[in-house]
Amino acid sequence: MRSEVDMSNVLDKLREYSKPGYYDEFDYHWTMTIDLDRCTGCEACVVACQAENNLPIVGEERYAEAREIKWIRIERYWEGEFPDVKLNFIPMLCQHCDEAPCETACPVFATYHNQDGLNTQIYNRCIGTRTCAVYCPYEVRYFNWFTYTWDEPLEQQLNPDVSVREKGVMEKCTFCIQRIRMAKDNAKDDGRRRVRDGEVVPACVQSCPTEAMSFGDSNDPDSKVSQVMNSPRGYKVLEELNTVPSVIYLKKVHDDV
Amino acid sequence: MSISVSEALRPARKPALIGVVAVVGIFVGVWINDTYFSDRTPVQPIEFSHRVHASDNEIPCQYCHIYASRSPSAGVPSVAKCMGCHTAVADARERPEVLKLAGYWDRQEPIPWVKVHDVPDFVHFTHKRHVLAGVQCQECHGPVQDMDRITRIAPMTMPWCVDCHTEREVENGRDCWTCHK
Amino acid sequence: MSKISRRDLLQYIGAGGVGTGAGYLFAEAIKRPVEFLIPPVVPPEDYSPGVATWYNTVCNQCSAGCGISVRTREGRAKKIEGNPAHPVNQGRLCARGQAGLNALYNPDRIRAPLKRVGERGDGAFETISWDEALTQVAGRLGRLKIEDRADRVQLLTGGIRGHLGELFEQFITLLGSDRYAQYDFTYPANLRLANRLSFGIEHLPYYDIANCDFLLSFGADYLGTWLSPVHFSLGYGQLRQGREQRGRCIQIEPRMSLSGANADEWIAAVPGSEGVLALGIARILVADGTYTGSDRDAWQRALEPYSGDRVAAATGVALERVQQLAAEFGSSKASLAIGGGAAAAGTNAVASLVAVNALNHLAGNLGQPGGIIFNSAPVFGSATRHAGLTQMTELAASMQDGAIEVLLLHDTNPIYAMPDAAGFADAMAAVPTIVAMSSFMDETTAMADLILPTDTYLEAWGDDAPEPGVGLPVASISQPVVARVYDTRSVGDIVLSLARRIGFELPVALPWANTKEFIKDAWKKLYTELDPQADAADFEEFWLAALQAGVWGRVEATGGPGDAPAPSTIPDIDAAAATFAGDTAEFPFILHPYLSATLFDGRGANLPWLQELPDQMTSVVYGSWIELNPATAGELGIRDGDLIEVESPAGSIRAPAYLFPAIEPGVVAMPFGQGHTAYGRYAQNRGVNPVQLVALQSDQQSGELAWAGTRVKLRNTGERARVVRNDGISRTLGRQILHPEENHA
Repeated sequence: MRSEVDMSNVLDKLREYSKPGYYDEFDYHWTMTIDLDRCTGCEACVVACQAENNLPIVGEERYAEAREIKWIRIERYWEGEFPDVKLNFIPMLCQHCDEAPCETACPVFATYHNQDGLNTQIYNRCIGTRTCAVYCPYEVRYFNWFTYTWDEPLEQQLNPDVSVREKGVMEKCTFCIQRIRMAKDNAKDDGRRRVRDGEVVPACVQSCPTEAMSFGDSNDPDSKVSQVMNSPRGYKVLEELNTVPSVIYLKKVHDDV
Repeated sequence: MSISVSEALRPARKPALIGVVAVVGIFVGVWINDTYFSDRTPVQPIEFSHRVHASDNEIPCQYCHIYASRSPSAGVPSVAKCMGCHTAVADARERPEVLKLAGYWDRQEPIPWVKVHDVPDFVHFTHKRHVLAGVQCQECHGPVQDMDRITRIAPMTMPWCVDCHTEREVENGRDCWTCHK
Repeated sequence: MSKISRRDLLQYIGAGGVGTGAGYLFAEAIKRPVEFLIPPVVPPEDYSPGVATWYNTVCNQCSAGCGISVRTREGRAKKIEGNPAHPVNQGRLCARGQAGLNALYNPDRIRAPLKRVGERGDGAFETISWDEALTQVAGRLGRLKIEDRADRVQLLTGGIRGHLGELFEQFITLLGSDRYAQYDFTYPANLRLANRLSFGIEHLPYYDIANCDFLLSFGADYLGTWLSPVHFSLGYGQLRQGREQRGRCIQIEPRMSLSGANADEWIAAVPGSEGVLALGIARILVADGTYTGSDRDAWQRALEPYSGDRVAAATGVALERVQQLAAEFGSSKASLAIGGGAAAAGTNAVASLVAVNALNHLAGNLGQPGGIIFNSAPVFGSATRHAGLTQMTELAASMQDGAIEVLLLHDTNPIYAMPDAAGFADAMAAVPTIVAMSSFMDETTAMADLILPTDTYLEAWGDDAPEPGVGLPVASISQPVVARVYDTRSVGDIVLSLARRIGFELPVALPWANTKEFIKDAWKKLYTELDPQADAADFEEFWLAALQAGVWGRVEATGGPGDAPAPSTIPDIDAAAATFAGDTAEFPFILHPYLSATLFDGRGANLPWLQELPDQMTSVVYGSWIELNPATAGELGIRDGDLIEVESPAGSIRAPAYLFPAIEPGVVAMPFGQGHTAYGRYAQNRGVNPVQLVALQSDQQSGELAWAGTRVKLRNTGERARVVRNDGISRTLGRQILHPEENHA
């Protein structure tokens, strides 16, 4: 289906069943690649996402209660002890799994898989059971425990293309659906049915100072993302769970001499 | 003298009737509100008549709502745009509503038009796509050219949107993320 | 037919009435709130509701000079992205740059001119009109000029580049004063001096990380805070995966920085010994014949003292490791050594940086791709009035002596960014009139008598020639991307209107109506130089093109092998030992302060997005902490989160302990940035400022504050303190997160 990884027969079988059942095939299959050998953990993407998607400023108290909302965050993993110690960074965001556990969880279908391979989240349908967050092995779903406000005039920055969420609603990375929609819109204006490779650039990908991320349609074999994801360094996080993520990481190279 | 059934039920009949009257009252209340105090036809700061402009003077919609075919927002004309015509149209200059307009212009103050057609903030609606797809303005906004004061005809609710998308077989027209943002 | 009694009828009518009322109210309650459609009176140019308009301008969050594109909708700035046409950042932008919107729409901006009413520093101000404010300042300055005492006016700004800096320069000179200083904590004065000593060229060269095979960084956090982090990050991406052969990075520093975390090897050398290590490597390069220059013998003699054993002892780096580094540095096709951070902020900083430069010379990296490429001088407006600790101490003394009558401040915060011991705050108390041109009520602005609120960089005109350049001449224009949010003015406009009000020859020499006219006029003069091929038909066309692109530059690169000057410092080469303030016995730890990759030198502390952005290395938000090695902490009985009193010869502060796995046992580290006593709701009274621990020592050659040259002692107060962080158990614990195949094996 996607990258060829040597897995056991059982997983191959499972993967066959995991083809998007509702759709014969995805119209687009939006996919992101993150090259951990380029990623420096600088967090430019984190602020880019915060600006683009109207993420709230939760304040110190709420942050201390682990109620911060960051659709993309940088996870840190230490290895070894002083002096041979290493720190590894890995950006973690919604993996837009094709076999998303969260989708099976929602009692009101506020999250489902759409025809573009995206894991959606529909705020006005969400009733806040928080089941999806419990089911998500990547812990990338964030719940609005409060209706957050912006100190005047910070609210003037809010992006009008993205909803401002209220208390009681689950939220998560959308792969910048507003940018995907805009790219499709522009394509229609040009009389094209398809979006060209490189026309959809989510905010995090756009900002990345080391060009570690790429984004595109993996249904298109010529797209940049299709080329990159076939790298021998490619892997998916927690692949053994068979969630079939749409975010493909490229392993960091360790060439200690 | 016979015993009437109604007489026999008299003790239970009265509370029930009171309940029925109250329920009918609720419907009447809603009806009164909806008919005489509806927000479908709000009073505007200037009694602007689309009938006069679009019908009598045959001004096309997009002459004033210039962004409809190139932006999500159709756009309401600026005061400058209104004045552009009204300084030239001599016979209308002294009408009271036009004088109001001139007042805004003199004060360089924007006109606070009351919104008639609105979708919730979590909905992405784009005029451009609908106009370019050949949807007539009137299909959603009603016979605007016959209205003196603008009134909302369509419910502007999700079923109403989805029905039309389904009927026209809009590509991905029923995917939540086509409209919800 | 039974009759209805009057009593029943009334009951029915009552029920109907209540029902009707309830129904009415219900219908009313479910109505959406009334919204308005308010079109503009006259639509601005480029205005199209619902469609974004992008404006190109220049980022001002650090001095790298990245070009930015700001997305605006209906006249509001929505997002800042890198300008793809700008050669410095090529469309990319760091976290700090993107958070600039928080400065523009900051709720704690100064919204109108203010006049002090209470005691100085009380924070009691009253709002006055611009006319009154400007009249007062111009009157005061004019009177001093009439009395021929204008040399008692001191102008103190941040590290302003571009034509605005020249405008300030002209203004103060025309006024009759020579007192103009720029205080910028992050200004690379030591590096500039070292480059002048080594190469005879002071302006910063281009460090070609993208094409380098072996990058040896002595403390320079090029991915986080050093000179031009976005450009170097682009280079780093190239170095890792953008070409055939993956380059290697080595980081030498006592506490792992962001660049250290990304390096292939992180080597913890003794603080202050970076120069010795560089010369130890240099000695091997000369000895093993890598260096073949005619002055080889002279080098060999000069480097004689840096024998392997001595270097290993002084630096704490094993001899074989030094030899490996030398072998790799000498044999790599393109190697590059850079120095910065704490290594460039000790008492021997310039000497260390000269040693690093020597390393590049000996390996033949100068003027080579992947090495150091020399830029031509910036197209215009370098910051030339930089004041280091020496000059600032002199200035404080002058203020104390009553030699300064008017202090004009703009965009600099010495009260926060200088040690208390320098006495700047006390000296300011002796100045009769302090005028601040600021956007925010920072510690220094709060001491002013009169505050003229300035535009943020997203509302004002200006220009910039980035430094370090990228090997070709580049100039960019700043333009307002939105209309002013408050009743503020750009600092250029303030200077020009002061000039008009003061009179004399000032209005003649500074005739421009506003900053835009001034900048445009300056570019008109540059026009022939910037556009020698005359691509544009006339100046107007050139100007519009530059304004739209946000940047204008010649495409052919300058600098090449032929331009590489030879180091002139062979006989002087001497990595002097660093001295640290504080007795070793009493103060057992070396304090390693570092620039925060989120809050920088503290200027980002008032931006909520940055306060809420986890520190890259520790994941801490909204506060200060002190990092120490877990082993050290164990010996001292300190647990994570214990409140520690950190005392140096200069002062003492309290911060919670953070057990940091990648720091030398004898070193404790603290980030700059927090500990503001003013500067708005997001910054004020949050954490502590390690500058207060820094003893008054300076580099022996440059006179810059040696902020990495202080020893401290620690005392566990026994109290617990909250460190807000989100890293949890930051080990993979065998989960398939980073190295999938290792789990399948």
